[in-house]
Amino acid sequence: MKQFFGMSQTGSLEEALRGLYQPQFIMLLSNEEQFERHVEELEKRCPGVPSIGCIGMCYQMGVVEHGVGVIAFCDGVAAAAGVLEHVSTMPVKYIQRLERNIQQVRGSSRDTVCIDFCTGNDACVLTTMNTVLRQHGISLVGGTGGEGRVSANGRVYQDAVVYGVVRNLGGCVKTYKENIYHQLGNYRFIASDTDRAKYILGSLNGKSAKQVYKSILHVTDEEILTRTFQNPFGKVNGDDTCIISIKDVQGGALACFRQVNDSDVLILLELGDYRAIVQDTIRQICREFPHRSAIFSVNCLFRYKLFSEQNYMQAYLRDMAALGNHAGFVGYGEHYNNRFVNQSMTCAVFE
Amino acid sequence: MLFAGKKREARRVQEETGLYPLLHVSESLKEYQRMLVHQEVTSLWELRQVGASFSGVLENADHFQVKLENLDGSFTNISQTSEQFLQVKSAVAGSVEEAQGEMAALAQISAEVQQSFDAMRETFGQLQSAINAIQHCMDKIVSIADETNILAINASIEAARAGAAGRGFSVVAEQVKRLAEEIKILTGEVDAGVRDVESSAGQLNDRIGLSQQTLGQGVGIVEEANESFRKITEAADGAVTVQEDISGVITVSQQELQSIRQFFSQIKEQYQDVVKHIDSASRLGTTKSALFEDLDNMISQIPPLVRDIESQGKK
Repeated sequence: MKQFFGMSQTGSLEEALRGLYQPQFIMLLSNEEQFERHVEELEKRCPGVPSIGCIGMCYQMGVVEHGVGVIAFCDGVAAAAGVLEHVSTMPVKYIQRLERNIQQVRGSSRDTVCIDFCTGNDACVLTTMNTVLRQHGISLVGGTGGEGRVSANGRVYQDAVVYGVVRNLGGCVKTYKENIYHQLGNYRFIASDTDRAKYILGSLNGKSAKQVYKSILHVTDEEILTRTFQNPFGKVNGDDTCIISIKDVQGGALACFRQVNDSDVLILLELGDYRAIVQDTIRQICREFPHRSAIFSVNCLFRYKLFSEQNYMQAYLRDMAALGNHAGFVGYGEHYNNRFVNQSMTCAVFE
Repeated sequence: MLFAGKKREARRVQEETGLYPLLHVSESLKEYQRMLVHQEVTSLWELRQVGASFSGVLENADHFQVKLENLDGSFTNISQTSEQFLQVKSAVAGSVEEAQGEMAALAQISAEVQQSFDAMRETFGQLQSAINAIQHCMDKIVSIADETNILAINASIEAARAGAAGRGFSVVAEQVKRLAEEIKILTGEVDAGVRDVESSAGQLNDRIGLSQQTLGQGVGIVEEANESFRKITEAADGAVTVQEDISGVITVSQQELQSIRQFFSQIKEQYQDVVKHIDSASRLGTTKSALFEDLDNMISQIPPLVRDIESQGKK
C-alpha cells in the first residue's frame, strides 16, 4: 500500500489533495471554521471513497496547525468507513455497522486495523467497539478530535465516533503505544470518590487527591495544571499503564482528561528520557517490520506542546520519517485497542 | 366504569409488552456492579495492606539476615582472635625455648666454672702442701741455725779456752753465730712471708668456697627457672587446648548459624513467593478495574437504549 499526505497551511483542500490519485481510504484533518465545507468538498472530489474526518492538527515533516491535511491510503487496501452515533449515551445502538464493515473488508487480526476519530465519552466508545473488534482480533488506533464534530463518508456528525476499517492487502498491520513516562517513587493509590461522567478523581487511598498530589510533588494548586506535563497519573492495567492527564482542580478533587473509576489503581509518573524512548520505539518497529509501507500515528496534544517547548518536535518528525512514510494527527486523547489514554503516541504500522 | 376498564387493559398491555423489566434488570445490574466495585476497592485495599505487611516481613527478614551475617562475622572475629592467641602462645613457647636454651648454656658455663673452682681447690691444696713443706724446711733451717749457733757458742767457748790461739777461731765462731742469727732472722722473715701467703691463700680459698656456694645457689635458681619455664610451657599448652575448644565451639556455632541462615533463606524465598502472588493478585485486580469500567460502560448504555426503543415504539 501507499500512504499519501497532502496539506495546506492556508486551509485549501484543493492544495491538500494535489497529487492524490485513486485513494481507497481518506482521513481529513481540518479546522473549526472550514470543517463542514472541507467534508463536502472532499466528498465531491472523491465520491464513494470511504473517508473519516475530524477537527485537529496533522503532521508529516511539519505540523499543520490551522490549515487542512489529508492522509490517504492508496493501492493494496480494502477499507470501509462508518459511524456510531449518540456516543455520549448509547454507541452500542449502532454497533452492527462496525460488524458489517469488518465483514465487508474481510478483516482479520493479521492485516486489518481500525482507525477512529471520536467526539467524546471515549472510554465507553472504545469498550463498545472492542466488543466487536476483539472477536476478530483487530487492533484499533485513534484519538479524540476537537470541537465535538467528526465526519464519515461525506457527512458531519456530532456526538459520534467515526471509524475506518482498513485492511492491508500487501502484508501485516500492527499497532504500538509509546509511553514516555515511568513510575515515580513507589506510590500506589486506589481511586475512590470518582465521578466517571465528569472525569473527577476525588480520593487516593482515602485522602483528597489534590492534597496527595500536592504533598508528594510540593506544588501549589496553580502549579498542578502545568505539572501534569512532568507528572501525570498512570492507571495500572495488568502490565500496561494508561496515562491520565490532570485538567483542573475542583475543591479537594482533581478533574482529569480521562475518566477514573472507583477501584482503579493509579501510580504517579514522571517524564523519562523521551528522545531515547522514541528511538527505542523506532528500533522496535524496525525490528518487527523490516519492510514498512506506511506509519499512521496519533500524538497527544500534550506531547506536541512538550516536544515543541523542548524544540524537539521537528527532530521527532524527522526521526519518525526515518521509518518510512509517516503521517498522523494530534489528538486530545489517544485510543489503543480498548484503552483511552492521554499524553501518549499510538500508531499503526503497515507492512 | 368502561373507561377504568380500558385503562387497566392498557396498563396490562404495557406491562406485558413494555421494556420496563429490561430497565429494571439494567438498574439492578448497575447496583450490583456498584457493590462489586465497592467490594473490589476494599479487597484491593486489604491486598495492599497484606502486601505492605509482607514487605515489612521481608524487610525484617533482610534485617535479621544482616544480623545473622554480623553474628557470623563476630564468630569469625573470635576465631581469628583465638588464632592470634595461638600465635601468642607460639611466641611464648619460642621465648621460653630460647630462654631455656640460654639457661642451659648458663648451666653449662656454671658447671665449667665449678670445674675450674674444683681445679683451683686442688691447686690450693697443692699450694698448702708446698707451704707446709717450705715451713718444714724453714723449721729445719731454724733448727740447723740454732744448732749452728750452739756450735758457734761452743766454738767461742772453746776458742776462749784456747786463748790467743783460739782468737781467730773465736772470730770465725762469732761470724758463724752471726750468720746463724741472720739465717734465723731471714728464716723468720721467710716464715712470716710464707704465713702471709698461707693466710692469703686461706682467704682466697674461703672466697672460692663462698663463690662455689653462690654458684651452687645460682645453679639451683637455674633449675628453678627451668621448672618455671616448664610450667609456663605446660600452661601455654593448656591454653592451646582451651583455644582448640573455643575453635570447636565456634565451628559448631557457625554450622548452626549456617543452618539458621539457610532456614531464613528458605523462609525468604517463600515470603518472596507470597509477595509474588500478592503482586500477581494485585495486578489481576488492576485488570479487573478495567473490566469493571467495560462493564459499567456497557450497562450504562442500556437505560438510554431502552428509552430510545420505547420512544420509537410510541411513534
